[in-house]
Amino acid sequence: MAGRDKPDLPAHRSLFRTILAPTVWAVHFLFVYGFSAVWCAKDWGAAGTLSWSITAATLLALALIVGLAVAMWRQWDYMDDNDYIHDLSTDEHRREFLGHAGFMLACLSFVAVVFSTMPAWFAGTCL
Amino acid sequence: MTRRAAAALCLLSLLALAACTGPQSALDPAGRDSATLSRLFWFMLAGAAVLWAAMNGLMFYAWRVDPRPMSVRGARTLIFAGGVVLPTVVLSGLLGYGLSIMPDQRAPGDGLRVEVTGEQWWFRVDYWPDGAAEPIRSANELVLPVGSRSEITLKADQVIHSFWLPSLGGKTDMIPGRVNRMSLEPTDVGEFRGQCAEFCGESHAWMAFTAKTLSPDDFAAWLTAEAAPAAPPRTDLARSGRDAFMAQGCGGCHAIRGTPARGQVGPDLTHLGSRLNLAAGALEVTRPDLIAWITDPSAIKPAARMPAYDHLDTGTIAAMAAYLEGLR
Ligand code: HEC
Ligand SMILES: [Cu+2]
Repeated sequence: MAGRDKPDLPAHRSLFRTILAPTVWAVHFLFVYGFSAVWCAKDWGAAGTLSWSITAATLLALALIVGLAVAMWRQWDYMDDNDYIHDLSTDEHRREFLGHAGFMLACLSFVAVVFSTMPAWFAGTCL
Repeated sequence: MTRRAAAALCLLSLLALAACTGPQSALDPAGRDSATLSRLFWFMLAGAAVLWAAMNGLMFYAWRVDPRPMSVRGARTLIFAGGVVLPTVVLSGLLGYGLSIMPDQRAPGDGLRVEVTGEQWWFRVDYWPDGAAEPIRSANELVLPVGSRSEITLKADQVIHSFWLPSLGGKTDMIPGRVNRMSLEPTDVGEFRGQCAEFCGESHAWMAFTAKTLSPDDFAAWLTAEAAPAAPPRTDLARSGRDAFMAQGCGGCHAIRGTPARGQVGPDLTHLGSRLNLAAGALEVTRPDLIAWITDPSAIKPAARMPAYDHLDTGTIAAMAAYLEGLR
């Protein structure tokens, strides 16, 4: 089925879906900073436990981001027509543009979430 | 630019290298932490140089060596490899390396404990030897033993300051109402210079301190001397200077242990004469500098929190300077 004949669902027109992955990144980032600060200030326990909690949050965030990346990859539908230029005002081009942008944002968010977790692996202490 | 001008510029830029050594350089390390930091710097610089050369090499290749257009496929692969894969790999490596030195930088100190408080615009320095009930108080100078890790507690009085002693380690903010910490492990004996690294008011640029590192034995001897009360004045001039110091109320702000002067508003002056700097690095402990300072502190450090004594006759001020200079 050619791209232009594929169904164009409301979700395909959603800008919000496109930026969901960076939103997961933002929430994860806030969680890592806020949780570590409170954990260390309140002396809730060993820094090792903190580091594991952050890693768990990271795995959750990465799973969400991978799920979104797959959804956006499908919406981009690159394998169908190898199309990566979306400059026409048609449903297909809008759908594939948003999918393409969302997919790349998801990849960026994946790397970013890993990067903001790395300090927790290395620091090793609350000091 | 002509070739000659370019060559001259290159030579001039070599001059900048002269700033790489000296008493206040992270590139001339005298401690374990600063050595790690300078290694980090050279590693990053080497990486940047390789990337810079590679980018310019590619540019040269595309412009001069083979200016024919690439295939669309090849260009896409190049953009993906050079724009996505390479930065991700390189940044992960650099971030990992940078983070891997963090635990050492934050290691707890198991040697001497010192508390440094940022004031406007000077440093209060309290030594807490093992088991001490009261600190040995000094100011504007930090003396540390070589070969052990000293634990340094950082506080601030009114505004945020930052404690930075590049020859020995990284910098850490001093924040009112909060206790920060760092630890330093000097490896070389020497004299160094530190600087407040967070804007803290009019005289921020004049808020510096000196650091001295000593062998453990020398340090123990120094600490014993530092703990002792001030030396009594030995000359008539110094004696009249002491009397003037007490009569003028200097002791309301300054403490000189072993005398009635007990004030804690300004720096402790008990062993001022043995220190390497006056007024947080603005001057030296010499008689002319002491006279200039007492006469009008704000002329030297804008808005300094000490009143001017230019209403006193020069003889009285000179006598006080003689007294203070003798406080070894
Ligand atoms: C109102 C409090 C106050 C009074 C009174 C005062 N000082 Fe000071 N003094 C300070 C403060 C605050 C500083 C630190 C200023 C700075 O470095 O920015 C200082 C710094 C100094 C220093 C340099 C100390 C160092 O660690 O290098 C000397 C010396 C000194 N005062 C001498 C005197 C003498 C002598 C008198 C009396 C004639 C006097 N002070 C009266 C507050 C005072
Ligand atoms: Cu300051």
